[in-house]
Amino acid sequence: MGPESFPQNIHLRDGSSATLLPLKPGDMDALQAFYRNLPEEERLVLKDDVASPQWAKSFHQRLETGEVISLIAMAGDRIVGEGTLYRTFRGWTRHVGEIRICCHQDYRRRGLGTSLAANLVKLATDLGIEKIIVQVVANQLGARKVFEKLGFHKDAVLPHHVMDLAGTKRDLIVMANDVSQIWAAMEAINQDTPLHMGD
Amino acid sequence: MAKTEIRVGGLGGQGVILCGSIIGKAAAIHGGKHATLIQAFGPEARGSACSAQVTVSDDVIGYPYVKNPDILVLMSQDAFNQFIPQLKPGGMVLYEAELVKPDGKLPEGVRAMGVPATRFAEELGRRLVLNIVMVGFFAGVTGLLPFEAVEKAVLDSVPRGTEELNLKALKKGYDFGREQAV
Repeated sequence: MGPESFPQNIHLRDGSSATLLPLKPGDMDALQAFYRNLPEEERLVLKDDVASPQWAKSFHQRLETGEVISLIAMAGDRIVGEGTLYRTFRGWTRHVGEIRICCHQDYRRRGLGTSLAANLVKLATDLGIEKIIVQVVANQLGARKVFEKLGFHKDAVLPHHVMDLAGTKRDLIVMANDVSQIWAAMEAINQDTPLHMGD
Repeated sequence: MAKTEIRVGGLGGQGVILCGSIIGKAAAIHGGKHATLIQAFGPEARGSACSAQVTVSDDVIGYPYVKNPDILVLMSQDAFNQFIPQLKPGGMVLYEAELVKPDGKLPEGVRAMGVPATRFAEELGRRLVLNIVMVGFFAGVTGLLPFEAVEKAVLDSVPRGTEELNLKALKKGYDFGREQAV
């Protein structure tokens, strides 16, 4: 999967549609407008202060170096969702990518987050990333379900790691998808050892 | 009764058996034909000689062993040297063009076609799918099985999560095969 796979029209569960396409540096203002429109409580669960100009500058730089790959979902001329794959080219986690997904309130429970996540998993796999992680708060049950369907499992739990505006602390769950296992399975069936009935 | 005998040969680890198995599944499960598969290995698994004998027929197959194949699908020079004398007169050799050099050793009347399957697989991102490129090339050149049947057999055979790249590899080999067959 590469740039040729986009723009990609997707049909959502309620019959509406959206278009997925890679974020370009020129889309940064629109992206930040999307994030600024999120309720403060929701912005708080994001790791970065996505409303700040510093975040926009850093995100833009990482977009240009390829350390960040971002897909936006457009409905008409409006951004209604964004998914980011973060990776690093050096260090001991260079085989790991991290995904973050955010959808506009009006576009949740329609399959948009699943489409963004599935496309980012495919992009990451094709880039040779071996392990993909995602961080979810314990009460984000919908998000957990989406990632479980995409092959993610609970890798670690950081108790009371997240605190909301009211001061309530919740567990942070790190979910992981070891995509290298997918290709290890392909390598195993290519080993040319005897096939058995049902193989 | 149309019967086609095929031998797939290469090295352990190249997915020779899977290649033969997909051809057989495409014929017997998705193509409305009969098929048999015999597997042969060297004493070691990876890197040693390995081959699969596949028979595809419109009728029930009484004898599954392939002594003189109509079609050879070859992925190593050793397999080429070993199996080329067994090819039926007027048969067909499909080979991996970067790993096999026929060098004038082809019997008269034999139709030989090469495909840079390793390069195609690497361009797609995984050298591992070279055997699937070979399956596509086989389907494209011979026209023995409908593409849809082969596509379903690939989907039946590869691990979850690898389908997209394997289908791309199949299509790449198939399209190249169609071009060569003209």
